[in-house]
Amino acid sequence: MNIRLLGGCLRVFSWGAVLVLTGSVLVLLGYLLIKGVPSLGRDLIFGQVDILDAVLLRKRVFDGLFPAIAGTLSVVALSVGLAIPVGVCAGIYMSEFATVFQQRVFGLMFDILAGIPSIVIGLFGFSGAIFIHRYISNDFRPCLAVSVAALAFLVLPYITRTTQAAMQGLAEQTRQAALALGATRVQNIFYVLLPRSVSGILSGIILAIGRCAEDTAVIMLTGVVATAGIPGSLLGSYEALPFYIYYISSQYTDEAELMSGYGAAIILLGVCAVLFFLAFIIKRRLAGPAGPVTGRFHG
Amino acid sequence: MDKPVKIRVENLTFSYHQTQIFENINLDFTDHAITAITGPSGRGKSTFLSILNRLWESQPFAAMQGKVWIHLDGQWVDIYGRTLSKPDLRRKVGMVFQTPNPLPMSIYKNMAFPLKLTGMTDKTLVDAKVTAALQQAFLWDEVKDRLHDSAFGLSGGQQQRLCIARALVSRPEILLLDEPTSSLDAGAASVIEDLLTELKKQCTLIVVSHYLDQVSRIADNALRLEACGFSQV
Repeated sequence: MNIRLLGGCLRVFSWGAVLVLTGSVLVLLGYLLIKGVPSLGRDLIFGQVDILDAVLLRKRVFDGLFPAIAGTLSVVALSVGLAIPVGVCAGIYMSEFATVFQQRVFGLMFDILAGIPSIVIGLFGFSGAIFIHRYISNDFRPCLAVSVAALAFLVLPYITRTTQAAMQGLAEQTRQAALALGATRVQNIFYVLLPRSVSGILSGIILAIGRCAEDTAVIMLTGVVATAGIPGSLLGSYEALPFYIYYISSQYTDEAELMSGYGAAIILLGVCAVLFFLAFIIKRRLAGPAGPVTGRFHG
Repeated sequence: MDKPVKIRVENLTFSYHQTQIFENINLDFTDHAITAITGPSGRGKSTFLSILNRLWESQPFAAMQGKVWIHLDGQWVDIYGRTLSKPDLRRKVGMVFQTPNPLPMSIYKNMAFPLKLTGMTDKTLVDAKVTAALQQAFLWDEVKDRLHDSAFGLSGGQQQRLCIARALVSRPEILLLDEPTSSLDAGAASVIEDLLTELKKQCTLIVVSHYLDQVSRIADNALRLEACGFSQV
């Protein structure tokens, strides 16, 4: 075929693809805002309870999203907090200590883990909870701790892979600078390689935060409920925004309830935006004075 | 030549991905002299330097046979033997790379970095050593008022002298330089050449260089790397 014609087609098609993508995002956001904004307000979050009383946990909020927001924040913080040390250490191992063969074998494992559907991971967490309930403690049931562990498994591969990629992406000169000055391998990792990979690692953590905040399948099977109040214990049930959205959209009884679902969706987006923004600020702060960052995987 | 020998390479064979790079090399390097290594790109000049401080070992698929002896504190030490750890070896055998590679920290912290690695915390001692090394590298006057600024704010030539000074902080007996002036303009390069000539008094220097005129200006001995071996120039 005529090369010029082909080039022209590719150009038009690429433009079209970008337009479709941008358009979908705008339509989605616009639809959410139009539907959800009217229901946004103090009442949606705190119901009839005074804001100060709710935040200080003096009064329980029954008819607002406050417990679900608190639940989502706790689930994100705890599961990402659990996944970071394990994921970063695994990434360090993959990048700095594993042989080429080990990198292939373990890399395949992490890719498989990353590819497992979240509902399967949820089922795994659920089975774990049942196992503990049956053989270890009769009082144990699906709860915040099970969700946190299952979600941590869900996001581990992201953190491991981005850590590995960030560290391996460092220029050879950077990796050798401290070694040539007499640093041990561990000193090199802590003083040079990790600090210079922070920006890449944080990209993985941002991905993980988003994944934990939005995931519904895992938490549905491992401890989330429609009404539980503020999460009080790792061994108790909790509420979460994505589950609330799912629940309300499948079981709403009147228009107002459905509208509160849209409101919850906007709040979930807002929570994610705030978490992303925080991570972005940290990334800028840490990578800022570090000078030019080299390597392929740094955003 | 009856100057004492500092480094002795014996029966060195080196391969990378099963490709032979050096075959059965025997070489002596004279103490307190500048030995230049020239030769076409890709023949393994940089690899040869990395054999002298064992930096090649982080590369997979590389293999080495043979021995490298260095005369340290009146004794011949096999650097691949058990008596000398890699960090200790690299403090004795400093290295400066082709492009300046200051770490992402201030000038002072860059200079103090090798001392921090050894656990030295005495501030006055660290200060004294940092100052002395910067003076040796002809850099003190240019940076003494901005020690706590980022090292990336320095010019290319200053960064390279900072890297030399940083290597000098550990008082190395040997300094390996891999095309130290190739990323610099003529003026900055000439300052570094003067510096290297001056450093001969305290170190043995091995310089990889592409520029034959530079070699003739600074080198006491020159070796040319050809297929799998060296020839005297």
